[in-house]
Amino acid sequence: MTINSTSLTVIPPVAGPTPELVLRRTRILRLPRSPKVIAGLVILVLFGLLAIIGRWIAPYSPNATDQQHWVQHVLVPGTGAATGFPASYYPLPLPPSAAHWLGTTVFAQDVWSQLLAATQATVVVGLLAAAIATVLSVLFGVTAGYLGGGADEGLSLIANVFLAIPGLPLLIVLADYVPSAGSSVVLVASIIAVTTWAYTSRTLRAQTLSLRNRDFVEASRVMGEGRLRIILVEVLPNLVPIVAASFLFTALSAIGAYVAIAFLGLAGSPTSSPPGLWNWGEMLREGFANNAVRGGWWWWWAPPGLCIALLGTGLALLNFGIDEFINPRLRTAGLSRKTARKAGIGTRPKLGMTPVAHHPPVAVASVRTVAEASRLRDTAEPVLEIRGLSVDYGYDEEAVHAVVDCDLVLRRGQVLGLAGESGSGKTTLALAAIRLLRAPALISAGQVLFHSKPISGDGPAGTIDMLSATDDQLRAIRWSEIAVVLQSSLNALNPVITIGAQFDDLLRVHRPALAESARWARSGALLDMVGMNADRLRSYPHELSGGMRQRAMIAMAIALEPQVMILDEPTTALDVVTQREILQELIGLRDRIGFATLFITHDLSLLVELADEIAVMYAGRLMERAPATSLFHAPRLPYTYALLHCFPPMHGPRVPMEGLKGSPPDMRDLPPGCAFHPRCQWALPRCRQEVPRLAPLNGSPREVACWLHREGTTVPPELAQPEPASMRPRRPETVGQAGGT
Amino acid sequence: MRALLRRLGVYLLAAWVALTVSFLLPRVVPGNPVAGAVARASQSGNCNSQCVEAIEAQLGFNVHTSLWDQYVQYWGNLGHGNLGQSWSENASVSSLIISYLPWTLGLLLIATAVSFIAGTAVGVLMAWRRGSWLDWVLPVATFFSALPYFFLALVLVLILGKTGTMLKVFPSLFGYDIYGVTPGLNGPYIASIIGHAILPAVTVVLASTAGFILAMRNNMITTMDEDFVLVAQAKGLPAKWVIWYAARNALLPVVANFTVAISLVVAGQILVEIVFNYPGIGFHLYDALGKLDYSLVQGIFVVITLVVLAANLLADVVYVLIDPRARQMA
Repeated sequence: MTINSTSLTVIPPVAGPTPELVLRRTRILRLPRSPKVIAGLVILVLFGLLAIIGRWIAPYSPNATDQQHWVQHVLVPGTGAATGFPASYYPLPLPPSAAHWLGTTVFAQDVWSQLLAATQATVVVGLLAAAIATVLSVLFGVTAGYLGGGADEGLSLIANVFLAIPGLPLLIVLADYVPSAGSSVVLVASIIAVTTWAYTSRTLRAQTLSLRNRDFVEASRVMGEGRLRIILVEVLPNLVPIVAASFLFTALSAIGAYVAIAFLGLAGSPTSSPPGLWNWGEMLREGFANNAVRGGWWWWWAPPGLCIALLGTGLALLNFGIDEFINPRLRTAGLSRKTARKAGIGTRPKLGMTPVAHHPPVAVASVRTVAEASRLRDTAEPVLEIRGLSVDYGYDEEAVHAVVDCDLVLRRGQVLGLAGESGSGKTTLALAAIRLLRAPALISAGQVLFHSKPISGDGPAGTIDMLSATDDQLRAIRWSEIAVVLQSSLNALNPVITIGAQFDDLLRVHRPALAESARWARSGALLDMVGMNADRLRSYPHELSGGMRQRAMIAMAIALEPQVMILDEPTTALDVVTQREILQELIGLRDRIGFATLFITHDLSLLVELADEIAVMYAGRLMERAPATSLFHAPRLPYTYALLHCFPPMHGPRVPMEGLKGSPPDMRDLPPGCAFHPRCQWALPRCRQEVPRLAPLNGSPREVACWLHREGTTVPPELAQPEPASMRPRRPETVGQAGGT
Repeated sequence: MRALLRRLGVYLLAAWVALTVSFLLPRVVPGNPVAGAVARASQSGNCNSQCVEAIEAQLGFNVHTSLWDQYVQYWGNLGHGNLGQSWSENASVSSLIISYLPWTLGLLLIATAVSFIAGTAVGVLMAWRRGSWLDWVLPVATFFSALPYFFLALVLVLILGKTGTMLKVFPSLFGYDIYGVTPGLNGPYIASIIGHAILPAVTVVLASTAGFILAMRNNMITTMDEDFVLVAQAKGLPAKWVIWYAARNALLPVVANFTVAISLVVAGQILVEIVFNYPGIGFHLYDALGKLDYSLVQGIFVVITLVVLAANLLADVVYVLIDPRARQMA
């Protein structure tokens, strides 16, 4: 018996960003219906059945010996008539036959009957020990985790001490002094439980610790519910998957331990008094002790061994199912050949390169409108063009269409804002453009063109089709020409290496000509540019504050003077003051280096200060696109209007605030027609049936996907405010200073 | 340093508990273990008067001092490295254990190192190449991780061992050829030791690698979903670097949970030694159990516990070295 997968794996804390977990809802264990789980269940049910009915279907008694018929007798060499010694025989086990399916032992006992009898004790001891150990570990772990403080210290210390003492040797010593243990299932199970509970107790403690500070538990505490009640009603149900995993793991270890002490002869012999129980370990012991291996009598000892392995595999497979339930990341396995062919991709997606379906590229440019063409002429040249991009998560019928037919053009030196609620597909769209999305993401249609004119370095120039680029091409473009800053800088930096090393690796890859000292100097200079001391290169990420980490990330992002910067909610996780500083820093850097920015945020009011143009996404589609000021002061889309009225404006007349009604749509089950219609106060009958496409709005440089703005409808006055006079957004005054420091 | 000292405290406490259990058990177990032990021993006919006396002495009979005084004396003896006298071998327990220990530690060290490195590497590969043929390793590893070590040992003996019936390739009894070579610093002896260690080592490696594979694969998959891996990819780093970044982080929980792994490997190896009559601590534990040599059984229990605790401490030190966050707290 050895390490089960759960024993060495970190179970991600229950607390986490997964929205369903944040809800106050009991997590019922639902096993994924994978072949693994089914195989595991079948094995367990089979052995469970054998354990129950084994006694009755066994053809013989496990102890019955029939020397007459069941044994071949072999003359011991050197005895018999010719030798002068009285003939003496030794018995030989019989190989499997119709009468004895698994042959006989050297004592002329039926192996099949023994195996059936042994199944019962082995399974019962395993389950009972696991039950006792689980109760112990829940008592210790949950109590320690919930109470905290001194109680936690004490209980955890006990668990840690038990964990440190090696289980089997302790078990051996215990069993050795309780000779009658072998005859009592309860006794032997209790002894095993004492030596196996500690590990799961530690896991449960950690989980409880993370649960007790969660909102719903906090709420119950505030409401004055008793500790016991909170533990039973709020905490325990959420631990069900982990308790179940612990139970299976402990059952596996308990069976291993029982078999081991039986093999050592410490669980009592079934033929002595008081009789021990037949179990698989005892069968193996008898076989081993009576030279069954040397004799080649595999039928005697191999079946019990295989039974242990099979039952253990069943338990482990079921545990996989629970692991995958707790940590769904483990589930997304490779693609089956069929699915892959259907999706038009290889069976093995390359690491860090989102696969692109090999469907014929959607014809794009021709459908673009006159307004678009005229805008192309009178604005800056495009650097990143996204055309008709669609992204799925998953394949076939299960696919979630996270991004559908999106067009975006990012122009050199400009800031394009991408806004929308969380889950609307903003990040997916941006990361798909550089093919950074991970499995099971699939780019199902569209085109992404990168018009490269490197600012510095020897990066690739010219127009590159990102969706058909090779890995090497993509790697050369990444960071050197298109850099990314993610929202959470704590997780974005590798926790085990220094900031300096993380600058160094990218300089080494993209600027191989630089010597080590030059790389170090450059890294220091970059930190200096974002207002950090160059000494910080020696720091590890956890030694920096959130703001500093984000600055370091930004310094890293500009290290190779990219042409495009994708900023994915770069300031959301920071406090307001730091947010401001970092934004100013970014604007200053942009003015200095001249990169184009794709700025993703849910905060429209932030964008209006920064962006030249804003695009609004809803449920995976682009719904409105307009110059920033126009969009901010005169939104045309009901959704934009609602978004704008979520945040109070800093200046200007007071407007009543209305929250956005309803909740973001479930991407797996979108309403028909316009996805926003259930939340729209002006929804028309048509909105419930037809999906509106992004279309230009009577000659203005803005586009909107809304039936309200099509001919024959009256536009509500809220969505028909006059265009603001100035079409250029004003930047904060402080920009110049930030650039100068 | 503080975190390490705390761990050291836990291990010292664990050592104290183990030693105290080993002291108390024979003295507080209900019934008359001497009678039981002697009866059991007489059945098999190998307990002479010397054996009975030894059992009695070991179990604390015929000792006319209080439990506390015995306890103090016990610790005094331990302080002098005195673990009592083995009646079956007629030697001091500590000297016996010192002679067994190199066999066990050698095998344990090599086998654990190989299985840790191989298991981790395969686990990383499996996470990296998801969807390839490597996925088949998963069910196979699961099966192997459920195999009892000693059963695997029996199978290997059958197939490869010279005492088996099939290929008869490797020696499968004793630690060296006890008839053919003379112990000492000579070529044949060393070659014999290596030859005899192959099958036991392969058994331990095969049985324990699976656990490391599964653990590392799961950690790796979880880690590869972290943002910093995404950033490493966004940085355009070569795939190998990205994998290295992820593996470096995925390794941390494996090292942190080494406690569980090492306990299981030690437990497995005890049984493997028995199957191969390998002259280490596990085989002699089995031997001593059969001969009712309680002093030897307890001495071995204490030493195994101390070895495992030392391994744990080592793992903690390694953890502090590879995780800067732990270093800061330590």
